[in-house]
Amino acid sequence: MSTVLALAGEVTTGEAATFYILAPIALIGAIGMVWARNAVHSALFLVLTMLSLGVFYILQAGPFIGMVQIIVYTGAIMMLFLFVLMLIGRDASDSLIETLRGQRTVALLLGIGFAGLLCTGLGRAVGSMTSVGLDEANAAGNTQGIARDLFTKYVFAFEVTSALLITAAVGAMLLAHVEKVKAEKVTQLEMMRARFAPGNYPAPKPGPGVFAATNSVAAPGLLPDRTVAGRSLSALVPTRELTEAEAAPKGTEK
Amino acid sequence: MTFKLPAIDYLALAPMLVLFGAACAGVLVDALVPREWRYHVQVPLSLVALLASGGFVVALANRKEHVVTAGSAVVIDGPGLFLQGSIVVLGIVALFLVAERRLEPGGAFVAQAAVVAGSEADRKQMRKPGVTEVYPMMLFALAGMMLFCSANDLLTMFVALEVFSLPLYLLCALARRRRLLSQEAAVKYFLLGAFASAFFLYGVAMIYGYAGKVDFRGINEAVLGSSNSKTLLLIGLAMLAIGLLFKVAAVPFHVWTPDVYQGAPTPITAFMAACTKVAAFGGLLRVLYVAFERSSWDFRPTLGVIAAATMIVGAVLAVTQTDIKRLLAYSSVANAGYLLTGTLSMNRDGLKYTMFYLVAYGFTVLAAFAIVMLVRDSDGEATHLARWAGLGRRSPVFASLFTFLMLAFAGIPLTSGFTAKFGVFAAAVGGNMTWLVIIGVLSSMILAFPYLRVVVLMWLSVPGDDTPTVSVPGAFTAAALFVGVAMTLVLGVAPNQALELVNDAGAFLR
Amino acid sequence: MDNIQYSAAVEYAAASGTLSSIWLLFAIPLASAAVLFLLGRRADKWGHLLGVASVVATFVLGLVYFFQLKGLSGNRSAEVDLFSFMPVGSLKVDFGLLLDPLSAVFVLLITGVGSLIHIYAVGYMAHDPGRRRFFAFFNLFIAAMLLLVLGNNYVMLYFGWEGVGLASYLLISFFFDKPSAATAGKKAFLMNRVGDAGFAIAMFLMFAQLGSVNYDDVFNGVNQLTQGTVLVMGLLLLLGACGKSGQFPLQAWLPDAMEGPTPVSALIHAATMVTAGVYLIARSNAVFSANATLQTVVVSIGALTLLIGCVIGCAKDDIKRVLAYSTVSQIGYMFLGVGLGGAAYALAIIHLLAHGFFKAGMFLGAGSVMHGMQDQVDIRRFGGLWKYMKITWITFGLGYVAIIGLPPLSGFFTKDPIILAAFNRPGWTGWLFGGAALLGAGLTAFYMTRLFVLTFHGPKRWTDGQHPHESPAVMTVPLVLLAVGSVASGFLMSTSVVDWLTPVLGKHAEEHGRLGHWTVTGMTMAVVALGLAAGVLLFRKGTALEEQPAGPVVTAARNNLYADTFNELVFELPGRYLTRALVFLDNRGIDGVVNGLAAMVGGGSGRLRRAQTGYVRSYALSMLGGALLVVAALMAVTLG
Repeated sequence: MSTVLALAGEVTTGEAATFYILAPIALIGAIGMVWARNAVHSALFLVLTMLSLGVFYILQAGPFIGMVQIIVYTGAIMMLFLFVLMLIGRDASDSLIETLRGQRTVALLLGIGFAGLLCTGLGRAVGSMTSVGLDEANAAGNTQGIARDLFTKYVFAFEVTSALLITAAVGAMLLAHVEKVKAEKVTQLEMMRARFAPGNYPAPKPGPGVFAATNSVAAPGLLPDRTVAGRSLSALVPTRELTEAEAAPKGTEK
Repeated sequence: MTFKLPAIDYLALAPMLVLFGAACAGVLVDALVPREWRYHVQVPLSLVALLASGGFVVALANRKEHVVTAGSAVVIDGPGLFLQGSIVVLGIVALFLVAERRLEPGGAFVAQAAVVAGSEADRKQMRKPGVTEVYPMMLFALAGMMLFCSANDLLTMFVALEVFSLPLYLLCALARRRRLLSQEAAVKYFLLGAFASAFFLYGVAMIYGYAGKVDFRGINEAVLGSSNSKTLLLIGLAMLAIGLLFKVAAVPFHVWTPDVYQGAPTPITAFMAACTKVAAFGGLLRVLYVAFERSSWDFRPTLGVIAAATMIVGAVLAVTQTDIKRLLAYSSVANAGYLLTGTLSMNRDGLKYTMFYLVAYGFTVLAAFAIVMLVRDSDGEATHLARWAGLGRRSPVFASLFTFLMLAFAGIPLTSGFTAKFGVFAAAVGGNMTWLVIIGVLSSMILAFPYLRVVVLMWLSVPGDDTPTVSVPGAFTAAALFVGVAMTLVLGVAPNQALELVNDAGAFLR
Repeated sequence: MDNIQYSAAVEYAAASGTLSSIWLLFAIPLASAAVLFLLGRRADKWGHLLGVASVVATFVLGLVYFFQLKGLSGNRSAEVDLFSFMPVGSLKVDFGLLLDPLSAVFVLLITGVGSLIHIYAVGYMAHDPGRRRFFAFFNLFIAAMLLLVLGNNYVMLYFGWEGVGLASYLLISFFFDKPSAATAGKKAFLMNRVGDAGFAIAMFLMFAQLGSVNYDDVFNGVNQLTQGTVLVMGLLLLLGACGKSGQFPLQAWLPDAMEGPTPVSALIHAATMVTAGVYLIARSNAVFSANATLQTVVVSIGALTLLIGCVIGCAKDDIKRVLAYSTVSQIGYMFLGVGLGGAAYALAIIHLLAHGFFKAGMFLGAGSVMHGMQDQVDIRRFGGLWKYMKITWITFGLGYVAIIGLPPLSGFFTKDPIILAAFNRPGWTGWLFGGAALLGAGLTAFYMTRLFVLTFHGPKRWTDGQHPHESPAVMTVPLVLLAVGSVASGFLMSTSVVDWLTPVLGKHAEEHGRLGHWTVTGMTMAVVALGLAAGVLLFRKGTALEEQPAGPVVTAARNNLYADTFNELVFELPGRYLTRALVFLDNRGIDGVVNGLAAMVGGGSGRLRRAQTGYVRSYALSMLGGALLVVAALMAVTLG
């Protein structure tokens, strides 16, 4: 363990300075995450906040949790988030028009009220407290201390967490994975065979014919003799009969 | 450095370990066993696991030795065992509903949840058998619930909370019909659940700040002994309470209940209404009775107001509902209020009757949802109340059973609902919460109206053309229905045995 | 009223021999109801016969138990603890039954009058497709009513109380296709709920103060309670009694309840269920006698209600409504009796029994008239019916003579003593309540005469298409039997029943009040004669067919003395606004989602889709608001 551990109840100048620099940054990151219109920006703001928090942990004599914060949350989870966002497409941002009247105002007021309440409460409470510090907990080293707690006091909770992970994995698969049945997988060879099988017309389906008055898919393609080309009819879209007005020349042919 | 693994009493943990093990085995079954065999392996596996778990609970109860084990993470005491036993028994009945495949080809669950709802592929999978992952999910949830009731520190409790919540979020999304509704319910439940969990976790941090410990015994000692500012403790308690009140569906943290109850597949709704209620109140009871008993003067007024609001809002909103599942959801909200009334009496009677109420309510609500599953037409369940008009003429037996269950909900004497309500109210009077009892009585008077409206609708209306039929239940639903109704009757007419059981359970071990 | 001599303690003897099977009394009709329900249409053919048979069997059984009880020497009571209901810890409630003189007379009334009305209903409901269902509800009612009077503790009473309420609700709404019937059912339900809430809270109060809800424990323990507690407990019980018995201020549901089939009006809303409030007060006489203020409240309510009932009764034209208001008013007399305390408890009970006979008889008579007149209920459209339905005319007439209190029919022997007792209440209140009771007697004579004359005498006022005819024997035989009861019961009861009830209601010294027995009888007779004469003179020539313009008093009376308006202002409006406010909240958040979902499932627009995700925000917002309040409230504790 090479990290210099902070002493109980004392705040060194360096620690204070780091805190005062990073605290506003963390806050800006948090607010920015909520505020940003673009999901990628939001994610990056969150990364900023998490990094700052990681540094705070390290400063406060918790190097293990600090590194985990950076490696796991910032490094792994947020990067995965970003990957997914990029895959989906950066532009797929939701519209941010608020449809509920008063929602934002009330949310803002309640949020500020809640924060204010907690700050006053914590201010009153923490002011009179003597901090214990981590000297005792870190006596055998920070990581070792956490290991001891994990494998003694909280061993059951630690093991049970595995149930959580299994559930999460199974759940992700349930909600995201579509199983392909073997029969549904069609090879190129089979597709070609089907295409040239007797009874199938291998050429492309006719589009709206040269005499068609509209190029909507709902309007059938017409053969030169003005009869409907049956193969141009989609099974899904109901056929639209053209009205007299639509069938009439539009006056654009001049 | 070296450290020794704490002594673990594996027998004491056996009820949970069996379920965790079976759930893992279930996941393997889903991975390895051919598709057409999975259902036939999963159901017996889950059933055997639950029975074994129940057997271990009984063995532990007979051992009459209350232990704190696995470090100090788990406590196995009388009330804890009773709650675990209730969860197992109610879980078995809920499993019957989940396993039902006679009512609809393939059961109540979708075959592939990832297929886009309403697409061509979705129509194709309409008659395919449902996913079998629901069984391991359910076992995980049950094991988590059991741990939640017997956790001895807030951290274990939090892990247990997540362990039983996550499978529930998933299960909500798996309805075969009305899939968008189901998926939306799941997302809502998940988001709001995460919001509530955050409160819980923040509360744990506050309490750790105050007490320097997260185990209940330590907190209890610190409540009077610590020199730290009490504000910290109370903020922590408030946040903790918010997390727990979300799970029990107390006003104003009940907002998810109607949507989720309506959207989720009905067997899962039944499962949540019965088992989650037990687990959530089990946890709440333990936190309040073991850790914070000494500050009961601080939290009783606030939580009392919440209980009152829960009873009134749940009852009043139930009056205007037109969907049977939503009606039962609001009734579940109101019942959370009655349970809170019992909980807040903070005496032994309160503990006993709240536990009794949980069991009584669980059976009744399972049976009620079993009937909801049976009333169906070509589009699946017919949950709109207008469709239930005249059901009494179409199938008097099921209408009679449902009438009986409605009367039980309304707390009409000779049903378990009356016994339970009487018990919690009497306990609350004994605990100097008479004002809450008055509100409770008034609320149950209001609540009786929607229930009886359903009864009148079923019996005194002429069935129309669109009155759905009541399907013939498969063996599973019939069993669940029978157990639910029988227990509602037994606990109403001769609740002796059950009351002795809660009495013998004694108090929480500190 | 200190002339009550309680034995040292209330104590009930354990049942022995045949009496230990008194649970059969309510088990038989209950089983019959269950069979009728569960067999469904399969029982349509013979369901009504089973219904009648079960009640008649119960009546016979009741007689057997009655004579068994009579044969007991000393402590005439039989208590059976079937099983312990909630035996754990401090809370002990037994599923216990008690047959004592008070419950025995009620058992006979319920099953006796009940049997006759069941038989009558076979004829009355002959053409109704829901006859089997009707008998199932009817049997359920009998079972619940018997449970009500047979319990040995308040919880058992409450069981029956809720049961009869349920049966009554279902039976009022029986003709569900009439919207007025459905509304009446709701009204009855809601007003009864108000009363039931009072009763339930009274039980919890008993439990909290005395640790028990058994009759004997409560009655023996009531002396240890403070006067304030007794007052509150009594008032809550009274609220329950007022709700069930249609007394002021909860009287409005009872006349509307006449929307149900006539046998229901006769059995439930005249003879038995509505008198449950009187039973409750008489049963709890130890509680009510323990506080003078409480008694004054009961007496005031009784006197006020009896006048309200009379006044409205004078203005109504619907034959069943007039009878309903007369029921309200007669129960007012009973409340007056139980409120006066002392010897008047027993008087109230005998008036209740007599009323059970003559009012049931009159209701069935009214049903018979309606049967013959194609369900016409407007008395202005009757007239001269005596020629066409002789048996109905005579039996109704006997009931009519009984209710106005002419000797030697039962009303004379049961109502006059209550008026006498009211006059003999010490202090100026005696004059007030006595005067009210006397005035009520006169008004009763007037409006009942009006009803009787307009219906059976004077010129015909019915339309051409109607052919009045007598009802079949299955309906007239019960009428005759009930008429015989109202003739004979009065004299029998005023002597022997009072003695019979002594063990329950206390032994009373002979009273010597300010007015002698004969003075009051004379006054009553004079007032009754006046009312009767006025009624005959005014209405012997018939009446206008339509409502005539009238002065403010009559208009007020026609409008039920504005009771509905009052209820609307005091109960409904706040309730409605509360519901509306909550519905508004619900629409904003929850319903919006559902409606939106429906639209979305149907292929809704992107705009709605955005609104979908939006609503979770509002959920989260309400949770945040709640969290803010909870944290603030708990923090406030440390500040305070």
